[in-house]
Amino acid sequence: MARMHTVEETKEAMHLVVAEMYDRIVKGEPPTMTLPVRTKNNIGFDQKLGVYKYGKKNSIRDATSLGSAKQLLRALHVVEFIEEMLDAGKSSTLREMYYISEAWGMGKFGSQNESNNLAEDLEIVTKCLREDFKLRPEEDGARMIGNLTLRERNRRGEWMRINARDDVGDSGYGVPYNVEAEKIELLEHDIDFIMAIETGGMFDRLIENGFDEQYRCGLLHLKGQPARSTRRIMKRMSEEWDLPVVVFLDGDPWSFRIFASIAYGAIKTAHISEYLATPSSTYLGITADDIVAYDLPSDDLSKKDIEALNAELSDPRFADGWWQNQINMMLELGKKAEQQSLAKYGLDFVTETYLPEKLGELGLA
Amino acid sequence: MAGIAQKLASNQKQVAISEFFEKNKHFLGFDSQARSLITAVKEAVDNALDACEEARILPTIRIQITKLDTKKDIIQLVVEDNGPGIPQKSIEKVFGQLLFGSRFHAIRQSRGQQGIGITGVVMYCQLTTGRTTHVRSKIATEPTAAVVDIGLDTRKNKATKANAGREIWYNDDGSAKEHGTEVTAQMKAKYQKGRQSVWQYLRMTSIVNPHAEIIFTDPEGEVHHWTRVTERLPTKVEGIKPHPHGIELGQLQRMLAESTDLNLNHFLLNNFSGVTNRARKELCQAAEIEGTRKIKSIKGDDIRHLLEAFQGERLFNGMPVKLLKPPTNCLSPIEEMLIKKGLSKTIDSRYVTTLTRVPSVTQGNPFQIEVGLIFGGNLPGDKPVEVLRFANRVPLMYQQGGCLLTKAIESVDWRQYGLDQAGGKGVPKGPAAILVHLASTNVQFTSEAKEALADNGEVMEEARKAMLEMGRGLRKHLEKKKKMAKTKEKFELINDILPAIAEKSAQILDRPVPGLAGSITKIMSAVISETTTEWNKETKQTDVEITLFNYTSRARAYTILATWPEKAGAGMVGNDRGGRKEALGVWAWKLDALQPGEQVKIHYSLRGLERNDWNETEVFFRGSQDVIGATKMDEKFLEEIRRQEKIVEEAGIEEPTEGEGQTPQSIEESEPVSEPTVAPPTGQRTLFGGES
Repeated sequence: MARMHTVEETKEAMHLVVAEMYDRIVKGEPPTMTLPVRTKNNIGFDQKLGVYKYGKKNSIRDATSLGSAKQLLRALHVVEFIEEMLDAGKSSTLREMYYISEAWGMGKFGSQNESNNLAEDLEIVTKCLREDFKLRPEEDGARMIGNLTLRERNRRGEWMRINARDDVGDSGYGVPYNVEAEKIELLEHDIDFIMAIETGGMFDRLIENGFDEQYRCGLLHLKGQPARSTRRIMKRMSEEWDLPVVVFLDGDPWSFRIFASIAYGAIKTAHISEYLATPSSTYLGITADDIVAYDLPSDDLSKKDIEALNAELSDPRFADGWWQNQINMMLELGKKAEQQSLAKYGLDFVTETYLPEKLGELGLA
Repeated sequence: MAGIAQKLASNQKQVAISEFFEKNKHFLGFDSQARSLITAVKEAVDNALDACEEARILPTIRIQITKLDTKKDIIQLVVEDNGPGIPQKSIEKVFGQLLFGSRFHAIRQSRGQQGIGITGVVMYCQLTTGRTTHVRSKIATEPTAAVVDIGLDTRKNKATKANAGREIWYNDDGSAKEHGTEVTAQMKAKYQKGRQSVWQYLRMTSIVNPHAEIIFTDPEGEVHHWTRVTERLPTKVEGIKPHPHGIELGQLQRMLAESTDLNLNHFLLNNFSGVTNRARKELCQAAEIEGTRKIKSIKGDDIRHLLEAFQGERLFNGMPVKLLKPPTNCLSPIEEMLIKKGLSKTIDSRYVTTLTRVPSVTQGNPFQIEVGLIFGGNLPGDKPVEVLRFANRVPLMYQQGGCLLTKAIESVDWRQYGLDQAGGKGVPKGPAAILVHLASTNVQFTSEAKEALADNGEVMEEARKAMLEMGRGLRKHLEKKKKMAKTKEKFELINDILPAIAEKSAQILDRPVPGLAGSITKIMSAVISETTTEWNKETKQTDVEITLFNYTSRARAYTILATWPEKAGAGMVGNDRGGRKEALGVWAWKLDALQPGEQVKIHYSLRGLERNDWNETEVFFRGSQDVIGATKMDEKFLEEIRRQEKIVEEAGIEEPTEGEGQTPQSIEESEPVSEPTVAPPTGQRTLFGGES
């Protein structure tokens, strides 16, 4: 079970990675770093945790090519950098680390993506969290609105009590990057469920229409592929308050992926799926049948869309009958639709007709 | 042979010159205003190059084009050279003569003329602007230069001269000019840019005349300067006697008519190349004519029989008479190294390869193909490659598609050599330029316009072979580049990254820095060679260093071979490891077994070269384990080199003549092989109406 580690534990875990390289050189072999294969072919369902985790397939990154060798050297620089932060009680963003690497000479990163990936690699092999490494993401946390109350420790170290309906403006409560207990405590709520929404336009539409109060729910804006902290806070609210989570997205292959990462865990972060995923969440729409049933304005699937759908057909997270049905139906239709396409029937259609009907099927309205 | 000239000579009395010019302007090179300017530049520059070559002077040629009247398209062209100059008396002949000297009949490689040479330019100027052409020329032995205006009296069909005089010729810097010629002409013409332009003509001329300095000032005042990159003048070409295989009936008749030889035996031995004493006897027998017959008595059927014997239609002992090939010392190829220099100075790129084939013969005419390929650098990658065609050092700028040389390029599937080519046909695409030069005593064009070479199986085959060989070179280069990049990466890995990993991990774990030898062997697990070829400014030599590393766990033994420019006259010095010559331009070193982790270096320097003559040494190996950075020796490659070498050697050795050391033989020896003995036809006239 993923959890926060002490500074000593974190250092020790990192030293194991360094020792693997060192020992190989001592033995007269090329240094290596062993890490799980991070593709859909190496994720499996963990019965105990109810989420998808990496399987047993490992890949060995060895220093026989220049690219891999540079990766190892970079990993060493990152370890050293994290140790320095741990000792100094500092933290940095991944982007800051990317710029700091400018001074690492041959170990410098070629792109921000490389530094992000390497931070993830280290998480995976050490079983530590990014938070243990004192590395923050750039990514924006989500926005939340609804009658729920939490406590956040501010920069001065004081706890602030915030109600996400009464104490916030129209943009709602901004979820910080760290949502662990040391930073946020969930206090109380008076809602029946949480609805996660893909687009800002739809989030604002529901707020303007007073949907959160009318249907007693907390609304959460995902901002596309949700950040770790967004997924983490959904997970905490769902578990600690025992609330159902429904997910309202566009009707296209990419939205299916967003849902899979919320419900089952993302392939990239499968090492901490049990910490981020909310297995009890439900996909509300837009489904492939919605496009037909509501006669929604739609676009043709692009070549990339079709490729993505076909890839999903063989993704273990979409192995169940309902998903196979939806994916095949979308392929047959050859169409996709946006959340906002519901506006075809007027601005209130989504809150007065569509959502009540869909929630009704789930017994939530 | 001298089609235009003879036509002109015979028609001269009846047809006005202006009319003749108008009728024939397309093959005289004056069919459009743009082309007229190029032709004018070409005639003047060719004359300058020829004169300098003859006088063994390194040419410096200045060309200036000025727009005099933009509305009426009047352009002034000035071409100045540092040639030997023309004596006052001869200026009129050179610029006003229609039928010019023995050129039309000499069997040798010459730049040749476009139509009627510089006289055509004088005519064109007169006809389009009414103005005369100003000539200034100085020879070294006279203190002053001769000046004269040459024009054309269209009513009298005669050249005119005016304002003849003498003056002191000063250079721009105030010094007196020693020798040279300057032509100032005014004509109706258009100055254009691009592929068919004066600029392109001069650029191409500069490529194949690396010994020339060419300075061109265009109408906008921009100065284009193509520098001299070699002090070596083209070899002086020897004239040769015609070869029986290339003789036509008319020519044979004329030769007989002009012969002063004692009899047929002497005629055959004295006037032809490739005819040995044995061949002489056999030709007479095949033609069924007594060798002792007087020349005057050989007429009608006899001449035809003789020609048939020449051409192998009449047999001796059931076989065509075997003739020696004509000598090839009448050809003046540019030579690989100089083409390379010419290309490099003109086109900016990374890789240049050039190739001069061994001379060959078609229909009694010696010819030689030279090719060059330049690749990479700033050349555009998505356009057809630039085709640079030349015949006897003269750029061919028009009718690219219909030219034999282009067809030779198109006949190669360039895709296998690293260039794009739709369907493996047509001119390939890619960041490259391809040069083809045909040197021959008899260049066959598709038309009088002399812009495209006519089809010829043997020439085509030679050109194609040259392309294929060059293509293989390009492919090798590209493969090598890829391999070198990979090797470079590996070295970076073991020299920089791996030590950093060892150091950093030791530091983090607070343990001693481990040794790297074992890891390095495992990572490389190969034998690697690194070669540097660098110009040494101080010694003026090219230093070559070949290093061989054994990064495997076993001892390895190799023979290393390297290419060097032996053919170009380079010498190898400081080669401490000795070794031996393996073939022309290939040296070999047999090395002792190299232990794991060991390295060995081969050093040597090349002298007698100039900077950039030799930038890439090709390294081969013989041995079982692959060497990264070197190519396994293909023994066929060596055989080919040895074969070519043999051809060159044999060409320099006369075939031994069999027995019969009698008179005809000694005649052959006593008569030096020099200028063609065929006299120019009678009836030559100049525009001045004078005798030749």
